[in-house]
Amino acid sequence: MGALKRTVLYDNHVGAGAKMVDFGGWEMPVNYAGGMIEEHLYTRKKVGIFDISHMGRFAVSGRDAKEFLQYVLTNDVLALDLLKAQYTFLSNESGGAIDDAYLYRFHDEEYLLVVNASNLEKDWTHLNREIKKFDAQIVDWSEELAMIAVQGPESQTVISRLMGSTTLTEPVKNALGILHFEGNEVLISRTGYTGEPLGYELMVKATDAAKIWEGLIALGAMAIGLGARDTLRLEAGLPLYGHELGLDIDGEEIPIFSCPMAKFAVKFVEAKGDYIGKKALEKQYEGLKRIIRPIVLIDKGVARAGYKVFKGDKEVGYVTSGTMIPYLKREEEGPESKMSEEKIMRAIGLALLDSNIGLAEEVEVEIRGNRAKAVVMSHHKFESESRRK
Amino acid sequence: MKTIEELKYSKDHEWVKTEGNLAYIGITDYAQHALGDIVYVELPDVGSRLGKDEVFGVVESVKAASDVYLPLSGTVVQVNEAISDDPALLNQDAFANWMVQIEMENPAELEELMNAAVYVEICNE
Repeated sequence: MGALKRTVLYDNHVGAGAKMVDFGGWEMPVNYAGGMIEEHLYTRKKVGIFDISHMGRFAVSGRDAKEFLQYVLTNDVLALDLLKAQYTFLSNESGGAIDDAYLYRFHDEEYLLVVNASNLEKDWTHLNREIKKFDAQIVDWSEELAMIAVQGPESQTVISRLMGSTTLTEPVKNALGILHFEGNEVLISRTGYTGEPLGYELMVKATDAAKIWEGLIALGAMAIGLGARDTLRLEAGLPLYGHELGLDIDGEEIPIFSCPMAKFAVKFVEAKGDYIGKKALEKQYEGLKRIIRPIVLIDKGVARAGYKVFKGDKEVGYVTSGTMIPYLKREEEGPESKMSEEKIMRAIGLALLDSNIGLAEEVEVEIRGNRAKAVVMSHHKFESESRRK
Repeated sequence: MKTIEELKYSKDHEWVKTEGNLAYIGITDYAQHALGDIVYVELPDVGSRLGKDEVFGVVESVKAASDVYLPLSGTVVQVNEAISDDPALLNQDAFANWMVQIEMENPAELEELMNAAVYVEICNE
């Protein structure tokens, strides 16, 4: 195995006392000195910043750029307006995810596709093979651009102050903007992977990244590692490739439509035409044997990825992601209420379950040979100060 | 890393403190630090008899579940309910918060445990 890759913010992480781990071939911070729980809660209460420069950033342009993207992605690229972004999948012919991704349109004739770090090479090979059929070009910008997510109720404030710009994007999810930092372009999107109602992602010149990172921290943001990034996304019910997408524990492909988010990111409109995986996806849309559902344990214990789920004697699925994480209770309802300091621990997870298991239905998770009761949720409730803004 | 001179240590990162025929057992500061935020602890039933190196409990951090091994054979006399109620106590002070108290079956097994200096060495390897 070769040496681990490092992002341009590596020295900042180590200097801040981060515990560094191997993540998809990258040496990344799993948590900083305060620990994952503090980082998780700080993001919900104030603002967390995440180095996501390890993700892949590909620019697609050329005469057939749209046609190419329509063919390799599942969402409808024609519906993507200028200065908007959309969640999408790279499907294979059988309707499994090669990856999930975000497509950004900062410029009229150029698209930016952000993919998972662990799938970067696989995606790059796949896209370069398919693009040969089109008059279009794909360029890897991953090294030139660094990427920082800024998530939480104070995200807008800290970015505005650092960039000296009161308007960041249109005030809706998936809106984009172009700002400037010391004369260089900063691409900003109102997107994220935390479920925060207010959150942004910045794509900045790699050489500006450290200054922007430290500037945000000086304004009150907390550096957040991959550990809390995972608990935040899990609480928000967002899929992670390798858990809710890709292969299941038996090595079988998880159909894209098992993920509830697929219905926003897989389109069958006529204008989109044929694309990789369309036939299989249409079939999935009609109904699936198993789907991903949020669960919360009622009994004591922690449901972990790979644990089996039962209904009576029947095995009905398994946990795809799970942990225990606190959430903060609101002191009282109403416009004056504040988030309390009281932490309530709860074991939450996502599970791939037989689709006849309904919402609010009780199931059992097998934990080290014992059964623990759990209930199927539509989503995990969590509090964020953003909801008051 | 923090250690306490008077305690004995196992290669699996447990500490042992003896009082006559009784032994208090917990996880070391090194172990709590490696685990990160501890969110759940599972302890054995009082009265259970366990052999040396048998799993006596589970410590779960945000990231993972880890078994904890009994460094001495014996019978569980008491478990520390305080850490089941508030597992973060193990992060705050792993040496002040024992997990189980056992009645030792074979105190000679203590000889196989390490002193603080040797334990620090194996952690630094």
